[in-house]
Amino acid sequence: MATIDVHNAPRDAAGEALPLYKLYRPAAHYRDREHEFDAVKMGVWVFLATEILLFSGMFVGYAVLRMLHPEAFYNGSHYLEVKWGLLNTVVLLFSSYTVAAAVRNAQMGQLTWLKRNIVITMLCGVAFLLVKFVFEYSKKWAEGKLPGMFFSYPGAHDPSEPLWWGIYWGATGIHAVHVTIGIALFGWLYLGARRGKYGPEHYTAVEGVALYWHIVDIVWIFLFPLLYLVH
Amino acid sequence: MANHHDHNAPGHPPEHHHGGHVIIAPSTLLGVLVALLALTGLTVGLAQLETLLMQSFNIVLPQWVNVFVALSIAALKTTLVVLYFMQLRYDNPLNTLVFIFTMITVCFFLGFTMTDIGTRRSIDRIEGEYTVAGGTGLDGTGTPITVRAAQAASNPDHPLHHAWLKAHGHGEGGHGTKRNVGFPLPAGAFEGSSAWQSRPVTGLTLPGFAPEGDHGDGHGHGRGGH
Repeated sequence: MATIDVHNAPRDAAGEALPLYKLYRPAAHYRDREHEFDAVKMGVWVFLATEILLFSGMFVGYAVLRMLHPEAFYNGSHYLEVKWGLLNTVVLLFSSYTVAAAVRNAQMGQLTWLKRNIVITMLCGVAFLLVKFVFEYSKKWAEGKLPGMFFSYPGAHDPSEPLWWGIYWGATGIHAVHVTIGIALFGWLYLGARRGKYGPEHYTAVEGVALYWHIVDIVWIFLFPLLYLVH
Repeated sequence: MANHHDHNAPGHPPEHHHGGHVIIAPSTLLGVLVALLALTGLTVGLAQLETLLMQSFNIVLPQWVNVFVALSIAALKTTLVVLYFMQLRYDNPLNTLVFIFTMITVCFFLGFTMTDIGTRRSIDRIEGEYTVAGGTGLDGTGTPITVRAAQAASNPDHPLHHAWLKAHGHGEGGHGTKRNVGFPLPAGAFEGSSAWQSRPVTGLTLPGFAPEGDHGDGHGHGRGGH
């Protein structure tokens, strides 16, 4: 892998130590930094393809159960409060904007704003999880609106409602796990940004994590109308 | 950094290349965010419009209309995110190919599955045996899990007794009472739903000719009280 020998690293005209992103050398099997950047980006896109297919499994499950139990899904969507879903959507869309801005900051060498945008994105992810857990999950757990065999809410109008809750908890739960992983990745990015690892000459990791976060956002863009709005 | 020029100068091209990498202008990013938020508002507005139409004017749109509209807007939002936030527009075309083929795969997955489920009623009605599959959470006693939960909560000591009271406060009448779902339903809602059936049905399956013995858990015509 590419390692940086900071002590013997080249220095600039004044003899000052160069920032880490200027010292980055790609792994040996790449022609140059550009080659590595393109290869990493394509690898991330192929990984995102697998993520899309993962979530498409949940969506097909939603479609199948919805077609077989229309009443349960009609009732089920009325249990959810649109305002929290809308708030979460706005938070995630804004976080997509800030992470795209962070990539731009890295490209432009605006390192302070890079760190700020990474932190803002992370906070948006945390806010998403907070809204989800405090205002949605905890209430549903307390009321017994749980998936499948754990269901104990007495006011169900349809015997198939545990299936609706299975879809709800499964889809939003897996999405929440992805948001958590994204927050951890941003934490790692922040630690690197603090050391000056990312800049115009090398920002591959920022780009990769940003792409992942956009997919997480896209999945929620589809989950929100299907679960909250379509009755 | 070589070629250092003012990125914020007027007349500066919105996206340009620095050593092969395209940098998107902040105005473009902001514009895309505003568009995404507007489309979100539009989706919510249209969904509430559909509810308004149903409650105030008793116009019930077919369910697929709302789904189609909501998913179209979601697809448009996704396109914006993918093209501009993920910079696929300015990227190696191979990545676009990866993404498009993934979406085609998803369309196959979803399309064929929905076509299968959606046309299961269209087979030979005289001799066909078909199963409208799907668990109802039946346990060994044959009671749906939801009925069991309701029975458990009818006990005043149960922590969810308040929810049971709210759900069964009215609508306890006998046959023909419309159940209380907490929101107004248009006339004739769900009368013809087949989702109650979860077991194979053979022989004549035309409406009205279904074999009597198959309504095992007591859900016959209409909606009785709980």
